[in-house]
Amino acid sequence: MSIERIDYELCTGCGICVKSCPMDVLRIDNESNKAIIQYPEDCMLCKWCTFDCPENAIYISPEKESPLLTSWG
Amino acid sequence: MSVEKVIETDVLVIGGGLAGCFAAVKAREQGVDVTLVSKGNIGRSGQTPWADGTFVFNPEWGQELEELTERAHTRGEYINNRDWTERVIKDSYARFQDLVSWGIPFLKDDKGDFSRMGIGGQARPGVAWTLHANPGSWVQPLRSQPQKMGVHILERIMIADLIKQDGKVVGAIGIPTDSWDLYIFKAKATVICTGAGGFKPVGSWPIGDLTADGHVMAYKAGAEITGKEFEDFHGGMATRTGGLYFPNIPFPPLYNAEGDEVPERGFNLSGDLEAHAGRAPLRRGEEEFFNNSALGMSVHTAEGIWPVDENCASSVPGLYAAGDSCGTMMTGAFYSIGGTGTANASVTGARAGEAAAQYAKQAEKATIDDQELARLKEFILAPTERKGGFSPNWVTQLLRNTMMPYFISRIKHGERLKAALTLVEFMRDHLSTKLFARDPHELRLAHETKNMIINAEMKLRASLYRTESRGTHYREDYPRRDDPNWLAWVLLKEEDGRMKVFKKPIPKEWWPDLKKPYEERYPPRFTFSV
Repeated sequence: MSIERIDYELCTGCGICVKSCPMDVLRIDNESNKAIIQYPEDCMLCKWCTFDCPENAIYISPEKESPLLTSWG
Repeated sequence: MSVEKVIETDVLVIGGGLAGCFAAVKAREQGVDVTLVSKGNIGRSGQTPWADGTFVFNPEWGQELEELTERAHTRGEYINNRDWTERVIKDSYARFQDLVSWGIPFLKDDKGDFSRMGIGGQARPGVAWTLHANPGSWVQPLRSQPQKMGVHILERIMIADLIKQDGKVVGAIGIPTDSWDLYIFKAKATVICTGAGGFKPVGSWPIGDLTADGHVMAYKAGAEITGKEFEDFHGGMATRTGGLYFPNIPFPPLYNAEGDEVPERGFNLSGDLEAHAGRAPLRRGEEEFFNNSALGMSVHTAEGIWPVDENCASSVPGLYAAGDSCGTMMTGAFYSIGGTGTANASVTGARAGEAAAQYAKQAEKATIDDQELARLKEFILAPTERKGGFSPNWVTQLLRNTMMPYFISRIKHGERLKAALTLVEFMRDHLSTKLFARDPHELRLAHETKNMIINAEMKLRASLYRTESRGTHYREDYPRRDDPNWLAWVLLKEEDGRMKVFKKPIPKEWWPDLKKPYEERYPPRFTFSV
């Protein structure tokens, strides 16, 4: 749903996607030094990450799920 | 572990979109120290990334000022602020030239002239001209121009509150999205360029970071807020988000469930009326169509901090506003001239930046009271002190579900607005106060949620107060325009801890001819029958 995965064979850890995301969904992982989808639930499908990624490493699903509203949370 | 950083500057610009970049650049041109802080990333936050054009007025191109202003008066249903309509139109060419000099590649035709398009993107002379440059091409110029000029730029820091001392705004406190550090900005003048306010419409218009932060902070600091009763008219498809679209793609016509074409005129309330009558689902071509894609937003240039002078000063000394944060009301109750969202951002950004710099030059450095600072820090960090409570995402979802139905936000009615307001007041008093954040990312979400709840309260109260319909504010219980009672602006102001709502009549010289029949005074009114 929304941003789905990063192709780690293509990702170079350049960090451009982190600077492209207005919602702070993506971060650079300290160990792998590559991009990770840290907060997928905040993805709003703007697609700037995939537009700006020089390696075409980001896959975005066109579907966006909205979780059920629970009585509290 | 966490560090408190104090940054002193002359002019603090909050927001790094088009308005913020103009404010920062123009302030810096005055020779003062300028700091620009963005919650996200310059050129990739707010609505600026989707700017694909700007309105430009140039009499040499055959445009006539009066034709344009007339359009704003009638389509804006007479409550456009005519002074601002004229200012933005007249300043637009100079701002366009700025953008060109910054390196934004506006499209050119075969002869090498700037390609000018009329309203609706038709490549023939129209009343208004917009000049286009592909989204994505604005980012580098907007990032590099303030940088080149020595503006201090900080990104991924959310300004969570303003600091007020002796009745003046003297700075702000920021929380970074990826650390527990705290930024205390001490500024002689502050320009709010934080854009519009929405409720994070899911998978719809990509405005998830536009949570009315600036409107709410300014309101809490004592400024007046206007335009909250008007609604952004964009619809959307179930299968397509607002992400990355290009201009001039014609929309297929709208059909209801009975197979009849739905006549549309400007504002897409036609779809809501079909749904209200029980004739949904609606389709455009093969795709299902919905409204409320930009849930929570008002019409461009309508909502925002009320400017008290021609240079975007708010009613609070030291505080200025620009772009969608500033309620110039230049196009009125409906978005009457295409491309003016961008032009308004540029024009007000430039004016506010320059004025803020001039103010800063003569302002004394304020010493910030320690107790006030401690109070603000406690408020800002409160969600991190809790071990439990409500998660920002749950409260946001609840708020969105409350405001999303067409019969709350678009086909309004006093009883339903009051019902929604009862729930929103509960959210404000009982949920907002118990938000908890487990990390800095969630702390940003907590503050966004607090702001969205106040924005909802603003929208509901303003909608309840305006007991008529006008432009993009439609009340089922008051379906007609009520001249001259409501030839006025609705303003909100905090007084004794409560949200006061009042109106400011427009100057009588701006009234339409009341002797003209209603249908002639309001030709394009979207509900057709009233």
